[in-house]
Amino acid sequence: MFKKNYRQDNGVAYLLLAPIVILLTIFVVIPFFYSLKVSFYNWSFYQPSVFVGFDNFKFVLEDDLFLNSVWVGIKFTLMVVPASMVVSFLFANVIKGMRKGSASIVKTSIYIPTIISGIVASVIFVFIYDYMGGLANYVLSWFGSEPRAWLADVKTALPSIAVPAIWLGFGLTTLIMLAGLHDIPESYYEAADLEGAGTWQKMWYITVPLMKNIVLFLTVTGFTGAISQYELSLVMTGGGPLDTTTTPNLYILNHFRNDVMVGNSIAASLLLFVVLGSISAIIFKVLNSEKAIDG
Amino acid sequence: MQPTQGKIRFSTALLSVMIVSSMALTACGSGNDSSNNTSNTTTNASGNTGNSTDAANDGNTGTAAPAEKVTVEFWANKFEATTDAWFKKWVDAFNKSQDQIEVKLQIVPGDAWAQKLKAAQAADKAPDFYTMNYGGIANAAKLAQIQPLNDLIEGAKFDDLYDNIKDFVSVGDKYYAYPMLVEPSAVLYYRKDLYEAAGLDPEKPPTTWDELIENGKKLTKDGIFGLATGQTAPDLGWSSWGLQSGAAGHLALTDDWSKADIMNDGYRAVVNFYADAFKSGIMPKQALSGYPDIAPFGQGKVAQAINGSWAIGQLRNDFKNMLDKVGVAPMPSQNGDASTTTATLGGWTLVVDGKSKHPKEASAFISYLLGGETDVMIDFFKTSQFSKFSPRKSVDEAMKSDPAASQDPWRALIAEKVIPFSKAEPIYPWDVSIAVSTAIESAMKGTDPEKALQKAEKDINDFIAKSKLAGTNPKAAQ
Repeated sequence: MFKKNYRQDNGVAYLLLAPIVILLTIFVVIPFFYSLKVSFYNWSFYQPSVFVGFDNFKFVLEDDLFLNSVWVGIKFTLMVVPASMVVSFLFANVIKGMRKGSASIVKTSIYIPTIISGIVASVIFVFIYDYMGGLANYVLSWFGSEPRAWLADVKTALPSIAVPAIWLGFGLTTLIMLAGLHDIPESYYEAADLEGAGTWQKMWYITVPLMKNIVLFLTVTGFTGAISQYELSLVMTGGGPLDTTTTPNLYILNHFRNDVMVGNSIAASLLLFVVLGSISAIIFKVLNSEKAIDG
Repeated sequence: MQPTQGKIRFSTALLSVMIVSSMALTACGSGNDSSNNTSNTTTNASGNTGNSTDAANDGNTGTAAPAEKVTVEFWANKFEATTDAWFKKWVDAFNKSQDQIEVKLQIVPGDAWAQKLKAAQAADKAPDFYTMNYGGIANAAKLAQIQPLNDLIEGAKFDDLYDNIKDFVSVGDKYYAYPMLVEPSAVLYYRKDLYEAAGLDPEKPPTTWDELIENGKKLTKDGIFGLATGQTAPDLGWSSWGLQSGAAGHLALTDDWSKADIMNDGYRAVVNFYADAFKSGIMPKQALSGYPDIAPFGQGKVAQAINGSWAIGQLRNDFKNMLDKVGVAPMPSQNGDASTTTATLGGWTLVVDGKSKHPKEASAFISYLLGGETDVMIDFFKTSQFSKFSPRKSVDEAMKSDPAASQDPWRALIAEKVIPFSKAEPIYPWDVSIAVSTAIESAMKGTDPEKALQKAEKDINDFIAKSKLAGTNPKAAQ
């Protein structure tokens, strides 16, 4: 009886899994192994491809620009992820304390940047950072300050691109944080009130620990999202000035566009995959995910 | 109780978010559409399919079986709106003029070009023929990406080309492309009225780099910048080729592509020119536009601008009330000698894909469009406001009798004083050009020019070693 049921369950399970397994095979597994194979060739569309062993990988690893681009990606992530976490956490707390009507208005309005495409946002921010007549320099002029070359100055270019990235991402992050906040049983706070705990104590001892899984999820997705960002720098700076905004994916795209052979960009993509995978693994390790205490 | 309420509230909120977002998305979508109308002109299909169904209907009504037209696919880069319209006009005219070949035109924006073409090539779906600039021909020919045209286009049509252009489109003893136009990459545009206001002679444009910078200093005031030119590495990569060639007498690689050739006074002078111009404060700290776009000059934000000859078309089409204040002169050189190279001749050609199944039909259209009746090309040069130049002798001859062309002083100046001294664009990989322009940009941003050049030299030599570039120059054998 038990065995029969077990098998029936298995059949249904396989059936339900089939669509996603088939789709993943077609769009992820096969291309992945194909690109692995191609990365060992000088791949040409018009002539027989030539086997070159690890040359493509060696080429990428010895390229200062690739290592620089990974470093740019990490710096960019360190600007975007913590900032958007803090802003979202604060916003989520504010929204939680609001009344129903105003809360939905705020929730809807902060979600709007999320549905704006990165390209559109880049164009908007290019106007904001315009050297003559841009909003940013206009505001500076109120304080009698000289106009700044936001996107052309080596020092300000990357932070200037991080701002739209935060703006684009924080709506979704806030809503997820808010969902997490609502999931914390109100009785914990009531008990804390009875014990005479203050606002900060409640936040530090109840809210923050119980948000750990949410923070882990948002850190990993935020990290992979930010380090694979390329359209902002593509549109706003083209990777300049002096490659200070060339993120890893932009490096790959540039090689894909300019190189005569494609092997180089594929090798770089695979290396980026290794970098992303290992850093995500480190984050998981550090922020050990646990089941919520209240089950 | 409390949590459930919270959940209900959240779900209604989520629903409202979804509704609002879907509304906003559709609004966004329509917004994109309207913006696409200006930038994305791939919607040729409507016109062309209309034609082909008409043709098919005509065939059906007759007694004969419907004539089966050979369809060839044609991708063109997106250029000025006038060029796009010219492509469409003559593709339609060609399709109507005969019943053998149907050309399907698709206009592809420049920033999507490389991705789209590579994706199509990888899937064996590359277009039969497409636009390619002179710089790409030699490498594409070496990789068999494009076909030799000697057997496809009659020799007389190639004999009509100027000798230097013949060289641009050939590798070894074969022609691989048919040229459409040439345009010098650097010409000086300056504001005569502002020259006068600053006490400068509007009829005496600068001839040396020093004069250019000195004039720029006098012109920089009241929120107007004295000079606009390329100032980011990707722009400088190609817009400075002419200056490199003129100052050093050669470009960044030795002829056999075995090593970098930039540690010399010519290259030092070029790097110093850009660094001095930038540091003197006559250029905006952040480019007001990309190099090929002269809009800031047209809007009156800049007193002197370096730009390609194509900017004449932009000024004449978009900034008509500025025209009588604009002076045009050859780009100044290091020493002021008028015969020094300061520009490279860029331009576009049509090539037939190496795997095209209908090379004959594709080249029939290329012959019709670029190598046929002179009025087709004259129509093109007219719509571009004579900002581009003909690679064909017969077209230039025919244009002499056209009053608008023969009386155009800017056209005459560029044809007589710029083009004869311009050089071909280099065909070495872009990595080399960007290494040089990165040196220029870092010198502008404060790096010691000598150190910047040394780094570029090392980067180029590393690149040569890694990509085994030495001895692979497709043109070296000639």
